[in-house]
Amino acid sequence: MDFELTDEQQLIRDAVREFAQSEVAPIAAEVDRDHRFPAEMVPRMAELNIMGLPYPEKFGGAGADQVSYMVAAEEIARACATTSVILLAHASLATYPVYKFGTDAQQERYLHDMASGRRLGAFALTEPGAGTDAGAGTTTATLKGDEYVLNGSKIFITNAPFAEIYIVFAKTDPAQGTRGMSAFIVEKDTPGFSVGEAEHKLGIRGSSTPPLYFADCHIPRDALLGGEGDGFKIAMQTLDGGRIGVAAQAVGIAQAALDAAVAYAKERVQFGKPIAALQAVQWMIADMATQVDMARLLTYRAAWCEDTGRPYGTEGAMAKLFASEAATRVCDRAIQIHGGYGFTESYPVERNYRDAKITELYEGTSEVQRMVIARSYLR
Amino acid sequence: MRIVVAYKWTSDPEEATARADGTVDWSRAKPGLSTYDPVAMELARQLAGEAGAELIGVTVGGKGVGAPIASKAALGRGLDRVVIVEDESLREAGRAELAAVLAEAIRHIGDVDLVITGDSSVDVAAKMVPTVLAGELGWPAVAEVTAVSGQAGALRVERAIPGGVQVLEVSGPAVLAASADAAAPRVPGMKELLAAAKKPVELLELAALKVPQQNAVMTVVGRARPERKARKGQLIDTADPAAAAAELVAALRAAGAL
Repeated sequence: MDFELTDEQQLIRDAVREFAQSEVAPIAAEVDRDHRFPAEMVPRMAELNIMGLPYPEKFGGAGADQVSYMVAAEEIARACATTSVILLAHASLATYPVYKFGTDAQQERYLHDMASGRRLGAFALTEPGAGTDAGAGTTTATLKGDEYVLNGSKIFITNAPFAEIYIVFAKTDPAQGTRGMSAFIVEKDTPGFSVGEAEHKLGIRGSSTPPLYFADCHIPRDALLGGEGDGFKIAMQTLDGGRIGVAAQAVGIAQAALDAAVAYAKERVQFGKPIAALQAVQWMIADMATQVDMARLLTYRAAWCEDTGRPYGTEGAMAKLFASEAATRVCDRAIQIHGGYGFTESYPVERNYRDAKITELYEGTSEVQRMVIARSYLR
Repeated sequence: MRIVVAYKWTSDPEEATARADGTVDWSRAKPGLSTYDPVAMELARQLAGEAGAELIGVTVGGKGVGAPIASKAALGRGLDRVVIVEDESLREAGRAELAAVLAEAIRHIGDVDLVITGDSSVDVAAKMVPTVLAGELGWPAVAEVTAVSGQAGALRVERAIPGGVQVLEVSGPAVLAASADAAAPRVPGMKELLAAAKKPVELLELAALKVPQQNAVMTVVGRARPERKARKGQLIDTADPAAAAAELVAALRAAGAL
């Protein structure tokens, strides 16, 4: 068993770290403070071929593997959690369904633009009454002649309204429950499709997550992704991969908090010596470092499963469950090590702490991850 | 135009630690391109972009400099191919010997119009190799280069000198050592890094190069930290700003600072 990253994975990590530390980290505090969507990062990441890192070159991607993509996501999250979620929602949630389920015509029309990062994507599943119970959505898609007509609403849609391409889940047959759900590709500015006001959130404050409204929104029949009734399966399969990305994001946030705590512990002098000399602090750092390492190993393992054609649903759920809860714990300890200063905006750990929490919630709460894991063991 | 960039595969200084006696412990540092070499590569790329040129990386050293990751790291920064002399006997070689081997490798490549190097290596920092290399090739050496433009045989080179910039026209092949801040190395794109594995790597045998014997041997016989002056701890009462300023000026004069 080889625990080393390959040459390519190491070089990708080093290059993305160089980009993240020199260009993304300097704007992270301001993006958070001003709740600002860092739009300038999208073309920049596209220029570096990061926006479609795991997609084949013939589709405009970089042709890297999933492990490389997770390594890159972690490095960006370490600098700025907001920027990492823009990338992950675009590449893992919006681009994946087109890549995996799109017809030749749909791929021709959308995939190159998405994988190259020229057009930003969003994934619209969640509704006011359908979060964890994703199958309970009430947005409908009614076939009328050569068009589908969408009616309903979505909430917490990452990348709206900056995204141009939306993967929208709607019921073509509400009576069938989850089996009546279908997926559609909807373009921005389609009449009847509007975006609401942004949410003000605890963390990832620069990430734009407004509601979407569909009022007699007519879309062409060929906007259907996959077949009628395939929507729930498409959503779940997309989220299986997406949650590995969230795990990588959690690892990045936790690593940033750990780095800050280590640096602070070495500099802060109390009782005549750095607090790093105190066993209480040493044990906190030891526990934090171990948690971050465990989270990273689980994340890489899940990505490796995906790369090698192995099943990865349970592994992804384990990675996301552990990494997200570890990130929250590590960030909490990082503030503890900083003492009162950690509670102020002068130090980055309070932002890491606020950013970490979302990783326990989106793309399936920790409770959902536990359901997925338990089901695989108790089948 | 054919441009050679001489690079060094060494270690990441972020992970090196200083021992109490002032020497550096590189044992836990992970390998990487010497810090200023990407600046040289960037300068070469900018010139190649303008002039249309082949960019060839050359490196020499002990076991490890020919490792695939070393070549990929260099090739991922815009080089078209690399030529490597990897021989364990070079691990402890002096700067002059390394420069002589580099010169042979460059002769082997042939028809080279320009060699660009980094300012100095991050681990040894002797600042000797570019000059000795130029001597071995019989070419001029220019250090502290901040910009280079033009074509083979008609290069325009800018060089930082105290208080200004010197502009040179260089009509023949030369060795240019890029100043540490000559250019901001661009971040390698993901496609560039993944394509690096497909670019040519040529390994040369040291014995086959017939490097001339080096006669001067240099050995580091001592090193010392700069002497630290004790702080004066002189406090000036600033209740009267004019008087305080006068007292400060007098104190600075007495200390030889003004």
